[in-house]
Amino acid sequence: MAVTAVHQLAQCITCHAWSADRSMVALCPNNSEVHIYRLVEDKWEKMHVLQKHDQLISGIDWSARSNKIVTASHDRNSYVWNLERSEWVPTLVILRLNRAALCVQWSPKENKFAVGSGAKTVCICYYEQENNWWVSKLIRKRHDSSVTCVSWHPDNILVASTSTDGKCRIFSTFIKGVDAKDPKNESRFGELIVQLDLSPSWTFGVKWSPSGNTLAYVGHNSVIYFVDDVGPSPLAQNVVFRDLPLRDVLFVSEKMVIGVGYDCIPMVFAADERGIWSFIRYLGERKAVSSGSRYGSQFSEAFGKFYGQAKQGGSNDASETSRTRGVVHENCINSIIPLSRQGTQIRRFSTTGLDGKLVMWDLETEQDLLELLVH
Amino acid sequence: MARAGSFVEADNAEAIITRIEHKSRKIESLLKQYKPVEALKTALEGTYAMTGDERCKSAHWIAVHRALMAIKDVDGMLSSLDPEYYDILMKYLYRGLATGDRPTCDQCLRIHEKLTEKAGLGCILRFLTDTVNTV
Repeated sequence: MAVTAVHQLAQCITCHAWSADRSMVALCPNNSEVHIYRLVEDKWEKMHVLQKHDQLISGIDWSARSNKIVTASHDRNSYVWNLERSEWVPTLVILRLNRAALCVQWSPKENKFAVGSGAKTVCICYYEQENNWWVSKLIRKRHDSSVTCVSWHPDNILVASTSTDGKCRIFSTFIKGVDAKDPKNESRFGELIVQLDLSPSWTFGVKWSPSGNTLAYVGHNSVIYFVDDVGPSPLAQNVVFRDLPLRDVLFVSEKMVIGVGYDCIPMVFAADERGIWSFIRYLGERKAVSSGSRYGSQFSEAFGKFYGQAKQGGSNDASETSRTRGVVHENCINSIIPLSRQGTQIRRFSTTGLDGKLVMWDLETEQDLLELLVH
Repeated sequence: MARAGSFVEADNAEAIITRIEHKSRKIESLLKQYKPVEALKTALEGTYAMTGDERCKSAHWIAVHRALMAIKDVDGMLSSLDPEYYDILMKYLYRGLATGDRPTCDQCLRIHEKLTEKAGLGCILRFLTDTVNTV
């Protein structure tokens, strides 16, 4: 089985992030606090509770080298937390937002971070040495609706953002004094590089591949979009799948993506030699069951009522309505974070969901996927 | 400017309606030959290219409805239908269910059950979230 550990850390987890050495995890248990847990001899111990936000914390990111935690919350603020001695000290970052902050991510060089908000904007924050504070610069070009996810390109300049208006926009965040000037890439701050209008419905979970050549994001219409050669003439592919939509994705290699979402089981997508992406399989035991019971008790009853009319009272397999699907997560998985890298490939990752579980996965046991990864 | 635009659209709509009428005749002949599956495929083909105003959508719906009601073997029909048509079929099923007419709803419900089994919940979601390409 690909699952190596399952931990029930809260009733519901909104987001999580790992420390650089993966010994500590920071998560938000669906309230305004950040709980930091450390694995001590097989048991999780709550080491710190960071209390500063007034409302739900929607995004946490933990930088690997500088060891800073950035949190973004529905209270329209963001804090950067520094570990001083053994206390986490917050520094307020004035984002100048009038709506909730929905997602946050450190840039690859960790000198900037991007925040997506319900105010339809993306803010880029950087540290100003002279004044000893974090400055927020809003990208003027707005989306038409809330920004659900942001992701940095490996070059530390481009940021991709998805929104509930169905579009994915890629902006340049070149800041004089923070970024080194690149003669090949003369873009201004806030310049819209590409606008991808592939989805008729809300989009989530945008991520770049390790090389930055491919972009993947999901739509709420149970489709995952892959875009190669992001630039003036991108090559887009839609992969339509049969089950409930995804919420987040992770590139485990240049050619393989794991998607997680409302179906509670990770889905594996891979590109073949021609570069055509397709759904490979689920990453877990999905019991092959008959139609009525495959969706679990609630759905079965609903389907029974729905079709009961046409079927003259012959409802679906009433006896199997209470059969569980044998899955690990019991509710929507909302984030997937890499745990360990082998070169540019990720073999282990963790997922958290609305059921409050933190699950660690390892691809080492999945022989067929490893073969795909190697190529 | 608006005037010119609507003039062109009306033209386009007429062309679309003519094409749909042509399709309807083909569907009728296929139904007479007891080929309901072929008829449905003809009805569903090219629907996206022919979306226009409400009149076009209605004309299209009438053609699809005719073919849908003639289907007796739902399993057979679904196994010979190209997966790319699942999403569009689902949209028409919901349009059928929205009519409230008893025989139509019965038939649509019957097909809906089998289609969901085959295409999964994702198919229903694609119908729900697509506000652009409506039927």
